[in-house]
Amino acid sequence: MGEIVCHEEDLKPGEMMESTFGRHSIVLCRASDGHYYAFLNRCIHQGAPLSKGKLCGAPAATDEVGEYNFVKEGDILRCPWHGREFDIKNEGRMLANEKLKIRNFKVHVKNEQVIVYK
Amino acid sequence: MAQTKEQKKLHLIDTDIHERVEYEELLPYLEQPYKRYIEDCGWIQEKHMPFTQPAVAGVNRADAVVPDGRPAGSDLPFMQEQLLDAIGHDVGILTGALDPSPSSMHGWYEMAAALASAYNDWQIENWLDKDERLYGSVHIAAQDPQSAVREIERVGSHKKMIQILLPIDDKLWGDPYYHPIFEAAEKYELMIGMHHNEPPIHYGGWPRYFIEWHTLIPVAHMTMVTNMVFNGVFEKFPKLKMMMIEGGFTYVPFLMRKMDQQYRDLRHEVPWVKRMPSDIIREHICFTTQPLEEMTKKEFLQTFEQMGSDEIVSFSTDYPHWDYDSPYEALPPGLDEDLKRKLFSENARNFYPKLAHLKEEQ
Ligand code: FES
Repeated sequence: MGEIVCHEEDLKPGEMMESTFGRHSIVLCRASDGHYYAFLNRCIHQGAPLSKGKLCGAPAATDEVGEYNFVKEGDILRCPWHGREFDIKNEGRMLANEKLKIRNFKVHVKNEQVIVYK
Repeated sequence: MAQTKEQKKLHLIDTDIHERVEYEELLPYLEQPYKRYIEDCGWIQEKHMPFTQPAVAGVNRADAVVPDGRPAGSDLPFMQEQLLDAIGHDVGILTGALDPSPSSMHGWYEMAAALASAYNDWQIENWLDKDERLYGSVHIAAQDPQSAVREIERVGSHKKMIQILLPIDDKLWGDPYYHPIFEAAEKYELMIGMHHNEPPIHYGGWPRYFIEWHTLIPVAHMTMVTNMVFNGVFEKFPKLKMMMIEGGFTYVPFLMRKMDQQYRDLRHEVPWVKRMPSDIIREHICFTTQPLEEMTKKEFLQTFEQMGSDEIVSFSTDYPHWDYDSPYEALPPGLDEDLKRKLFSENARNFYPKLAHLKEEQ
């Protein structure tokens, strides 16, 4: 069963908001390309509310010491506490260790409504 | 943060909370001419660290910035709501935000001493007197021991001032030159709270990246523990204890072993040290937990086994800093209740003489 969490226009690309889905607090993110992603609003490290963090970008891994190539602006969710980086377009996987990810939910947009599913 | 029933029974003594002052707030507590230097000349304390970028909101938790935009840690009601009430603290120990940090000033000790006094009065009036859970740290200008002793005599008997704050920076406080401070501390039942400010960890200077500096903060803490023990502070002041704040504790087994081995070889150089360094550490020094590395229960317990004690570590959150540790999440799961009680409250209560009254109340 899906739940409408907001209107399509409520978030611009690169923005996020806190919402609820069933009994869960979730964070709904709109990526740079306009797509929506939803996650449990609880960091897998020590439980911080991710919606209080930042949707930003990240310096890409590089072979050159001293090189900062800032990419994925609007697609990286950084935790408000220890700043761990999660890629919202890669199932919420952590940049430092891709084996770990924040719990994600499916999202569809229908009739301009953003709907979250299990 | 939602609490379960079990969470309510925590009885936490949080040994590291950073309250923050803005310079304007100190003005009413400052004498002239010092007030004028801030008001008219825009004086601020010199800082050295080239990095302030570690997390999403700099050095603070992004969600700890006061909703009206003031810096994290600067508003008591918000701290109560987000930390003390939400977690259910029994006691929170304030350790300042190290700006200003009078003992870290490299000159103008008169200004440092004036700031320390103003800070203490501000802290008492705005925090300690306003929330019974909060206890404080006496700020001094330790580089000028005579003024430091006068300040300890002025505010040291306040019942909620439980330690003297000394920064870990570029001075080694164990030097006999600073011993009058420890004598005064003993007299007023104040312990020493040692917290890094901006210590060099890299051959006397800064590494290139914050991640290097932050990884090696325990090196600065080790330097100070070694210095205090071998300079005979605890032999000379047997009632004095020292809380090492915000450096974690997992370096302690290594340091104990190394100091003991060195002592066996080199005792002749420090004949005023009459016991094994590890015994002195166990009797006189306590370490706060944060920032905790992620450990399994087995690894965590091994550290205590190697220290030969589970009574010299106290839990700390470091609120509102970015590397805050949650009392509900930071420890490995499955620890027995006895150990949790020691870490969360008993060890700190036994450490600070001015918290001893809490024993009867609990
Ligand atoms: S709680 Fe999210 S990074 Fe630590």
